Amino acid sequence: MPETAMELIDVKKSVGNKEIIKGLSFSIYKGEVFGFIGPNGAGKTTTIRMMVGLMKLSAGDVRILGNSISTNYKEAVKEVGAIVENPEMYPFMSGWQNLMHYARMMPEVTKERVQEVVTLVGLEKPINDKVGKYSLGMRQRLGIAQALLHNPSVLILDEPTNGLDPAGIREIRQYIRKLAKEEQVAIIISSHLLSEIEQMCDRIGVIKNGELISIQTVGGDAADHNLIHQMEVEPIDKAAQVLQEQYQLEAVRIDEFLSFRSQKEQVPAIIKSLMENDCAVYQIHVAKGNLEDQFFELIGENTIE
Amino acid sequence: MSKLVSLIYNEQIKIYIQKSTWAMYIVLALLILGMAVMTNNFGNSTEQYQDDNWREVLQEENAALKEEMQNEEMMADYNSQQIEKNNYYLEHDIQPEAYGAWKFVQENLAFLSVVSLLTIIIAAGIVANEFRWGTIKLLLIRPISRSGILLSKYLSVLLFSLFTSIFVFAFSWIIGAIFFGVEGVNPSIVTNDGSGGFEVVSLVGSIFTEYGYSMVNLIMMATFAFMISSIFRNSALAIGTAIFLMMAGNSIVGFFADKEWAKYILFANTDLSRYAAGNTPWIEGMTFGFSISVLIVYYIVFLVLSWLFFTKRDVAGQ
Repeated sequence: MPETAMELIDVKKSVGNKEIIKGLSFSIYKGEVFGFIGPNGAGKTTTIRMMVGLMKLSAGDVRILGNSISTNYKEAVKEVGAIVENPEMYPFMSGWQNLMHYARMMPEVTKERVQEVVTLVGLEKPINDKVGKYSLGMRQRLGIAQALLHNPSVLILDEPTNGLDPAGIREIRQYIRKLAKEEQVAIIISSHLLSEIEQMCDRIGVIKNGELISIQTVGGDAADHNLIHQMEVEPIDKAAQVLQEQYQLEAVRIDEFLSFRSQKEQVPAIIKSLMENDCAVYQIHVAKGNLEDQFFELIGENTIE
Repeated sequence: MSKLVSLIYNEQIKIYIQKSTWAMYIVLALLILGMAVMTNNFGNSTEQYQDDNWREVLQEENAALKEEMQNEEMMADYNSQQIEKNNYYLEHDIQPEAYGAWKFVQENLAFLSVVSLLTIIIAAGIVANEFRWGTIKLLLIRPISRSGILLSKYLSVLLFSLFTSIFVFAFSWIIGAIFFGVEGVNPSIVTNDGSGGFEVVSLVGSIFTEYGYSMVNLIMMATFAFMISSIFRNSALAIGTAIFLMMAGNSIVGFFADKEWAKYILFANTDLSRYAAGNTPWIEGMTFGFSISVLIVYYIVFLVLSWLFFTKRDVAGQ
């Protein structure tokens, strides 16, 4: 069992008489990237604000490396780096001045460390320009830089790839994976871009109307599950018959494709059998939008109650 | 402790890096410079007293003042004061001092109300702007209590008012020295002694006394603006109410002067110079100690409210 970095224990938040977060409980482990998704108004941002102490909890507790955010705020928040919503900085100061400003608020952040972080997010060139002139992508990088200054154990990023170009997204994604793997940082990413989350995260928590409705594992574990494969094959009826007879797989014809559920390891054998039966296989792939389907299955329509 | 120092350092950077702050200083400098030019060209210079015949000059002036009094009733009060003052010089054989840097500094004390204005603007923005910029979120997720952040912001406002006052003082003195020369290390002036007569006092001393009196009002209004800023997170509202109250303060007291509770109004107590010799308090029965107590109560209320709202309230989405 990996070590717990952050733990939410029956976290509740009421505003007036309305309960907007209805008891969230989950843990995030060291070295994992945890995706936090849900429709607008589900309570993602409220939960993140409670995690970093911007909002008080109505009930329950958030523990960061065992320290409660409510009762031991300074110790708890020392291990957290975060971007909450947009990475807003002082527009009249340069990127460097902004980072130094935050560096002075935390213990033991040296100039060398600031320089290191700047290099890391690739902002060396514009670092002395005023932040007011930055593009959204540059501000996003600066936001990540300030979150990393003090080498936190928990990194909370709200929509981290928002405004980045594809190359930037790739870079940040690789960097996030690297941080989790090499530095054992626990990373929480909120996003509404499902493909984004799918590519970056180890586990995904789906939140709807202030309730956690599902936690799913992506990536590595997927091999254990049956994946939906789509195959372009000729003749299609014969291929379906082969799958049914030799592998007891239910195959469905969708448009020009034959669609079936099977384990990844089975696929080479299936193709071999098909060829032996004179079926021409043109292509086979795992159906995309896997997570997306599950997501919509889980949350239903995008309604805010 | 060193943490608080770096927090204050941060706040000072954020104040002084902004062009609008520099614009404030440029406006102040231009006002002082303009004052010097005006005084140089039209002011009643004291040059005429600097020759050996200054006694005759004073007597001639008295004669002219008397004549004016007979022609114009309105001038009677002012002129008779002036005559008595001139007589005091003659009787005690004191040559009126030349106009110079110190005197100029004293005249520029009026600009401390501009300093109050600028301090109110800074105080009103220091909390509210963080909310407006959205930077409050990144500011509050540091291993520092909210009380610490608020304290550093409040102290930064006081520092700003101190620096700006020093700027007015120093710049006035330098400009005064350039335009009019320096009277000496410790020049003295003749002023009301409070019981109808006159006395010789140190000019520098009276400048600092007046600075002190102005600071009371400045700090109270800045703290008020700071409180509004913390409670409503809106700088325009804070600037508006604080400046309105600063301008209307005296009228408010005047309006309610006949009420029993009028002496508890903040503005009835901010002008402590009313307890100095020769002045009368706003409302009979008020004493220096009473005003100090009222001021302290207001001050504590302002700070406690700022603190309560800043530390206890959630930072929710805009």
